[in-house]
Formats: sequence, C-alpha cells, structure tokens
Amino acid sequence: MLDAKTRYKLIPYAFLGIPVTIYLIWIIGPMLYSFYLSFTKWDGLTSPEFIGAKNYRMLFQDEVFYISLSNNLEWIILFMTVPIVLGLTLAMVLNKDIPGAKTFKASFFLPMVLSLVVCGLVWSWLYSPHSGLINEVLRRIGLGKLATGWLSNPKVVMESVIAVAIWRQVGYVMVLYLAGLQSVDQNLLDASEVDGANAVQRFFNVIMPQLAPVTVIVIVISIIDSLRAFDLVSVMTRGGPYNQSSVLANFMYIEAFNNYRMGYGAAIAVIIFIISLMFIMFYLTRIAREETNA
Amino acid sequence: MKNKIVVSVLAVLFVLGMAPLFAGGQQEGAAEGGQAADQDVVVYNSYWADPEPKRVEAELMEMFREQNPDAKVIHSTVAHEDFKQAIRAYLTSSAPPDVLTWFAGNRARFFIDKGLIMDISDVWEEAGWNENYAKGFRAMSSVDDKQYFLPGSWYWWAIYYDTRVFDEYNIEIPETWDELMAVCEKLKSNGVTPFTVGTKYRWTAAAWFDYLNMRVNGPEFHINLMLGKESYDDPRVLKVFNEYWGPMIDKGYFVESPASYAWAEAIPFMTNGDAAMYLMGDFIRDSYPEEDLQYLDFFRFPIIDPNVPVGEDAPTDGYFIPKKSQNPEMAKKLLKFFGSKEVQEYVAKELGRLVTNNKVDTSVYNENQMKGREIINKADYVAQFYDRDTTPEMADKGMNGFMEFWQNTDQAEEITDKLEKARQQLFEE
Repeated sequence: MLDAKTRYKLIPYAFLGIPVTIYLIWIIGPMLYSFYLSFTKWDGLTSPEFIGAKNYRMLFQDEVFYISLSNNLEWIILFMTVPIVLGLTLAMVLNKDIPGAKTFKASFFLPMVLSLVVCGLVWSWLYSPHSGLINEVLRRIGLGKLATGWLSNPKVVMESVIAVAIWRQVGYVMVLYLAGLQSVDQNLLDASEVDGANAVQRFFNVIMPQLAPVTVIVIVISIIDSLRAFDLVSVMTRGGPYNQSSVLANFMYIEAFNNYRMGYGAAIAVIIFIISLMFIMFYLTRIAREETNA
Repeated sequence: MKNKIVVSVLAVLFVLGMAPLFAGGQQEGAAEGGQAADQDVVVYNSYWADPEPKRVEAELMEMFREQNPDAKVIHSTVAHEDFKQAIRAYLTSSAPPDVLTWFAGNRARFFIDKGLIMDISDVWEEAGWNENYAKGFRAMSSVDDKQYFLPGSWYWWAIYYDTRVFDEYNIEIPETWDELMAVCEKLKSNGVTPFTVGTKYRWTAAAWFDYLNMRVNGPEFHINLMLGKESYDDPRVLKVFNEYWGPMIDKGYFVESPASYAWAEAIPFMTNGDAAMYLMGDFIRDSYPEEDLQYLDFFRFPIIDPNVPVGEDAPTDGYFIPKKSQNPEMAKKLLKFFGSKEVQEYVAKELGRLVTNNKVDTSVYNENQMKGREIINKADYVAQFYDRDTTPEMADKGMNGFMEFWQNTDQAEEITDKLEKARQQLFEE
C-alpha cells in the first residue's frame, strides 16, 4: 500500500475527484458538444447535419452579429468606466464618518440584491414614454423635448439598457472600494501630507495605486459580465427595436431557441467563448505571475 | 479524534447529496409502474393562459372527468409565449404529453412534416368531422389527405374602433382606402391619433403588412411570399411599403413610440380618447376594460383594390397528439371531446370565440360573432397570420424588417433587400 506521505499528497486529488468529474460531465462535456454543434445544421428536433464552417461564414456576413459585437463593446466600455468612477467617488465620500453613512451604503448596495429581471421590468415602466416616471418628470420640469421612447428609440435604447446595469452595479463597486480603502496605509497618506501633497495628488499618487488590486478585480468582473449580458436585454427589449439593442448572448438565444437554428446559435456561443477566453487568460496569467512573484 | 469527526461529517453530507438521485429514480419507477397499471392517465398541456380561457378550460376538464370517471386528466397551462419554446421539448421527449394545443398553418406543418404528430384520420372518420367541419378547416388540418390536426377555435381580425369617437366627429365606417384616409385626416385634425398600436413584440406590425399586402397584391401573392416562393424585393412588396404603409406612418396616423408598448399596453390610448382605432384580433375583448366594452365595435379592413380577391387573417387554434403519446386511446377520446358539438357550443358561449364544428347551432353566437363570421365567410382566402404562415426564422427576420421600416420609412429598398437575402438563405437551407 502507499506510504503515509504519498497518501497525504493524494488527499487533495481525492477531494477534487468528485467536483472535477461533475465539472467534466456537466460543463466541459456540453461545451465540447456545443463546439461540435457549431459545425452542424440542427433544428432541435431531427438529427444534426454536418455542414462544416458554413455557420461561421454566415455569421461573419450577418449584420446582426456586428451590431451585437459593437453593442457588447459599448457595454464593456460603459460598464467598466462609469461604475468605477461613481463607485470610487461614493466610497471616498462614504468612507468618512458622516451621519447616515451606513444607511447610504446599504441603499446604494440594495439594487444588487434584486434580480436583473426585476430591475429590467421596473425600469421598463420607468422608461415608458407615455406614463413612465422619467418622461413625466422631464415634462414637468419643462424638459419635455427630451422625453422620448427610451426603449423604442434606436438611438438611445442600448444606452438606456446599459444605464440600468450600471445603476445596479455602482453599489457593488462602491462596497469593493470601501473594503479596499480600509487597507490603504494611513502612514503613507500622512507622510505624503507632510511632504506637501494636496488632496488631488494624495488621491492619485497614494490611494489609487493601493487600490489597484480592487480595480483589477472590478475590471475583470465588468468585462466578463458585459460579455454575458442577457437578462436585461431579454426582459426590456428582446434585442429590439430590430436588433439595435442586440447583444451576443441574446442573439444566440433567439437564433437557437426562437428560430430553431441550434447550429448557428452554437457558433455564436463559440465566438462568445473565444472572446471571453482571451480576457480570462490575460487575467489568469497576471494572477499566476503575481502569485509566483509573491 | 478531530479527523474522525471531519470525515464523518463529510461522509454524511456526501450520502445526503446522493440521496435525491436514488429517490428520483424510485419515483420514476413508481410512476411508470403506475402508468402501466392505470391505463387512463392522459396529459394535456395547453397555452390558454389568459384568465378567461383558462377558467373555461378548467370547467371543460371537469366535464370530461364526469363523462369519463375512470380517466385521470393531468391538465397544465403554460404561458402563451413560453409554450412556443416548450413545445419542442415536449415533442422530442420520450414521454410527451398526450394532447397539445397548437396553431394551424405552417406552425403545425413544421412538426407534421418531421413525423412528430400522430395521424388522426381515424378520429376524423369516427367522430364524423369529415362532414361536420368546413372544407377549409379540413384542408388546413390535412397533409397528403391524412388528418393530423383538430381545429378548435378561430377568431377574426378587423379594425376595432371606439364608437364614442366616431359619433363625436360624425364619422362613417370607411369601406375603401380613400375613405379610410379621409377618416384619418379628420381625426388627426381634431387632435385624435387615428390608430393605436403596441409593437414591442412585433407581431402587431406584421398584421399591418399582412392586410396591406393582401389588399394591394392579393392573398395568392401574399401566401406565396410566406411560403418563400416570391421575393421580398419584388416591386409589389415595395409598393406596400412606399405607397401605403410609409405615408400612414409619416402622416402621424399611428401613436408615437409604438415599440415601447406591448399590444395590450396600447389599449389605454383608445379608452382615454387619444386614439380611435386598432387593427387587432377579436381577443382584444379579453383585455379591454369592462366599462369601455360597450363602446367597442369593429369593421372590415377597407378594400384598396376592388379587383383583387379579399384575404383575411383568421388564425385558428387547435389540438394534436404527439406521435409518441403514452396513451393514444385516451388522447383520442379527449380529442373527440374537444371536437364535439357540446364542448364547442360551450366554448362559443363562454368565450365568444368562433368554433369550427359547423353542427354548432349558430344561435349561440352573439351579434359580434355573427358579424365577425360574416367578414370571414365573405373572404376569398383565409390566412393564418404572418408568423404562423411563414417559417419561424423568416418570421423573425421579417418582423424585424417591419420594425426597422416603422422607424425609417425611407429605407424600404434597403430593408426589403435584406429580407430577400434572408429569404434566399433560409428557404434554401
């Protein structure tokens, strides 16, 4: 039998055995099946028919694909920058011991507790052109000209949907930064003040660098969530009007399950996978390098 | 000692985690055993999820149980939109429901052509439906002269209007296109938007395409377009966009931002006097506020070209039995029940829908139903509606095209070119 030392070394693998098996069967397996499906034509009922790379050729000629890609890109940019700026600002403000700080922190974080479907539904009502709160307020304060169909006007629909995602995310980023701020070295701050740095310089040269780990996490999460964005689009606009708010995940869903083009949907899924993989590999290599350095 | 506790806890958790797997297995076994013993379980899944139809269906299930005391009917209602996705799962499972509701037209053919639906020609023969159902309904249910579908109820489409508004401005029912345009002008000049519409889910826009295309180019061209045999960039299609639909939108004859509203959310525009008319199916009654129902009336979509045959949309809902049904005998019994004179009369009375069995005494129909029936009886052709007459993929692209046109009425050429490209791709595949 194995000696005690070998047995000890094998314990982690024993524990990993079951989860890894489950992972292989239910995550990796279907993933490989999706790769296979992307080379077939399948309506979900009869058997798949192998057609080579035709799905991909059609995809790269499909205007909806490019619209979805650019929408996802827009989502990444807005979803990364705005919550960071707003979240960090809120964290800085609420880090002081002002009265009601706890209440503010809680209420800013609250939207995160709501499911995206609920957020999408309620905001659809807010955005309603005729009787929604936003347009009503605009009209009352004399800005009626700005009142538009927020979810039906193709020029603003994508931004309107992303706004809801941002509204929900700000509290979360704020909480992350609040935690990060606790670990900012007070000694460094005091030293910089003694050295004559003003508030702005202190912020950008002392605080921000120490918040770098939090920022990296937030960026990675934002990018991955932007690529996965589906719920809000599906609930608020279903990708409409005429695909102007289409994102890759929603596009895949409609093609696969609405239009019964499973092969085509699988191809879109593979593209999403490849794009996500690029970002994740970048993040993982960074982490791995940091860990070996530390 | 500590290690022993940790290991024991993990072991217990492991076992508890595995337990459901075995419990599930047992349940399945019991169910299968149960089914073998009790032959008369019949599973019926329906998409009649709106409050009124749901109530009536529950009552029908009670009636069936009374007539067949040894039968066990498991009746599930699924939301309309979700059902359209779920049906695929039903039909491909190894133990599908025994009876399913579904749409006639291309939607049913899609599954029939794949061999997923049971041939019920014997039921048609035994129940006498070959005599009791109009030729059109029999034709719609048949493929290669075998019957697969039982049409149940249908409803007509028309232009619904608020009688108060028409009375106030002394407007007469328009019967030609010019008269309709004159009515629209009159309403507009009095501050009333002629038409309300909610196009969030797109099919309400497709309704306008259906009717304008059938009125301008005739139902035969329209159906061939649906079947992929005509081109979307045909000048006849462009005519519909550029000479009829586009001008209506440009002149402000529709409410603003229709894409923000689901179809029922556009009804308040009518009930509060902002708009006067709605091109809609008779099921608008199910969602119309009680107190305004008495002011709701309808007229046939005006004739544009008197030389063109008249086509109307009259979507038909019905039932079929999946081929792999576990209890075909009971399923056929349930089908005969649905198609019987008594049940159809009940549905006609309770829901105000038109039913397909022509043995049903027309006295159960109220004034509205007779009027709707007349419109359809006068038609030369009955279509099933855009997204039921054409394939799901084409319907998706087509409806997106209509939505894009609604926003950009000067882009008819580009949009129809895109639709034509899609048609070629999708109908060749």
